[in-house]
Amino acid sequence: MDKLNIICVDDQQEVLSAVLQDLQPLAQWLNIEECESADEVLELIEELDAEGEMVAVIISDHVMPGKTGVELLTEIASDHRFIQTRKVLLTGQATHTDTINAINKAGIDHYFEKPWQAEQLIECVRTLVTKYIFDRGLDYTHYQIHLDQNVVFSQLR
Amino acid sequence: MGGDKNSIMHPYLKVTIPLVVPLLILLAPLSAFPIEGITIVQQRVIAIFFLAALCWVFEPIPIYATSVVIIVLQLLLVSNKGILLFRLDEGQAHFGELLPYNEIMATFASPIIMLFLGGFFLAMAATKYRLDINLARVLLKPFGENPKHVMLGLMLITGIFSMFMSNTATTVMMLSILTPVIAVFGPQDPGKTAFALCIPVAANIGGIGTPIGTPPNAIALKYLTGDNLITFGEWMTFGIPFVAIMMTLAWLLINALFKSEQTKIKINIKSRFLKTPKAIVVYLTFALTIVLWLMGSTHGMNAYTVAMIPVALFSITGIITKEDLKKISWDVLWLVSGGIALGLALDKTGLAQLVVNSIPFAQFSPYMVLFGATLLCLLMANFMSHTATANLLMPIMAALGTSMTSLAPLGGEMTLILTVTFAASLGMSLPISTPPNALAHATGHVQSHQMARVGMVLGVVGVLLSFVMVWILNIAGYIR
Repeated sequence: MDKLNIICVDDQQEVLSAVLQDLQPLAQWLNIEECESADEVLELIEELDAEGEMVAVIISDHVMPGKTGVELLTEIASDHRFIQTRKVLLTGQATHTDTINAINKAGIDHYFEKPWQAEQLIECVRTLVTKYIFDRGLDYTHYQIHLDQNVVFSQLR
Repeated sequence: MGGDKNSIMHPYLKVTIPLVVPLLILLAPLSAFPIEGITIVQQRVIAIFFLAALCWVFEPIPIYATSVVIIVLQLLLVSNKGILLFRLDEGQAHFGELLPYNEIMATFASPIIMLFLGGFFLAMAATKYRLDINLARVLLKPFGENPKHVMLGLMLITGIFSMFMSNTATTVMMLSILTPVIAVFGPQDPGKTAFALCIPVAANIGGIGTPIGTPPNAIALKYLTGDNLITFGEWMTFGIPFVAIMMTLAWLLINALFKSEQTKIKINIKSRFLKTPKAIVVYLTFALTIVLWLMGSTHGMNAYTVAMIPVALFSITGIITKEDLKKISWDVLWLVSGGIALGLALDKTGLAQLVVNSIPFAQFSPYMVLFGATLLCLLMANFMSHTATANLLMPIMAALGTSMTSLAPLGGEMTLILTVTFAASLGMSLPISTPPNALAHATGHVQSHQMARVGMVLGVVGVLLSFVMVWILNIAGYIR
């Protein structure tokens, strides 16, 4: 069974730890990676891809030194290797224009405003990973018990 | 499904056992086999059979991949166009007869496969043009809002659909209708369990109703030829009453074990019958195919020929497009092909007959053989794929049925094959038993032990009921 990767990126260590803490219940079937900048993410996904690993979801902050979250996600959205990777923006400081770009250019799948609810974040990741599994044509039965069942049903129909 | 199985056994053993055992069989000298007159070709078939059985039990590779391995190994090792090195002794008595390569390849397109392909086309078209969901909506209406009655309605619809669609597809459809309904139940309401569990149970039972209801039925049909021929309609004349009785029992049992606290339940399906020309073609073709199947051979066509009609009609009209074609469950078709190839090799090399003859079955009580075979099948079907179970057991049962004369008063080959086939569908006590069970378990509303309780009772009762059924068929003079 392939281990799927979730990448969380935030320049503030406290926020990053809080996200990781909240996602802990998913750690038994997903590999959760942490990054502190957009460049670190790009380096990491390059490495993961070279090893044949899959990046299912990226949860990104927006305002970060260097590349912003929307820029990062836009770059990933246009990379054919990560075309199926699902993208989540988790931010408190995105402007109106940033948000428009996040939807139109980065094609994000979900937008969370800080502070977020742990429960909702977990459900969102679960749903997105389930969609990723079907998009990639992976054998869903290997992860069945962990998946979002509504997505499973709609995909199997 | 595989997740639970992986933990039972060390992953290392899971791969080595299915590799080492067949290899030992392949390398052993002929004299090591306690069977008089065994040939090299037959020895290789034994090795392939063990490889298949162990791979289907331990699942080191997907079950359909095992089928492909069977077919390819047969082509390489026991076909007349196999590797030269393995054909050097050809013509010598102890070597045995090689199989024609084209017959092995033809298992990919055997009539049984075509029957299923036709079934897939019907099911795909029905889903695409929402015939299934609309029928479910209309059929569910008369059952009102009493949870008990609604459950009966859901089970009946699931049962009927799974006779023509795959059990998995039916379960997916019904569970997706049900999920929003169960969500409003109280957190501790046993009704949640009842509703989530009734669907896979009904789907598993419903599959017994027709030859295309579930792959084991079609595999059985492969061996019911000549004097034992059963047509599509004939199968239904005993299959449907059996399903009806089992369904009633299952409904009573689930209701007794898990009483719903909800007094009213409303299932709202948002959908309307499509009235486009294509949708009408789907309705008519569906009806026509089923009527032709039910008419038996009065029109000269058998079930296999009839199955090709929807394939042609839906392709011509663009109802099934080339994109839809890619979504056909080729894995299921290949899984069955592998079983047919295995049966072909066992039969054509004379191995099945040789093994059956070398075991003194005549001294065994026919009742013991019948009960033993059926219980073995039920047990296997609980732990592994129903189709793989049928793939392994059916060729042996066919050989046993024809050669064991003491079975004749009980109905001979047909009795043995039918009870074993029904048992294959009744293995449903674990989440890993069938894909419908796994889907229901993954909803989180059904615990494994709850599924086990219902599944075991229904499995044993169902097997006993199948004995009663063949006994009645025998008395009625239907089984020759």
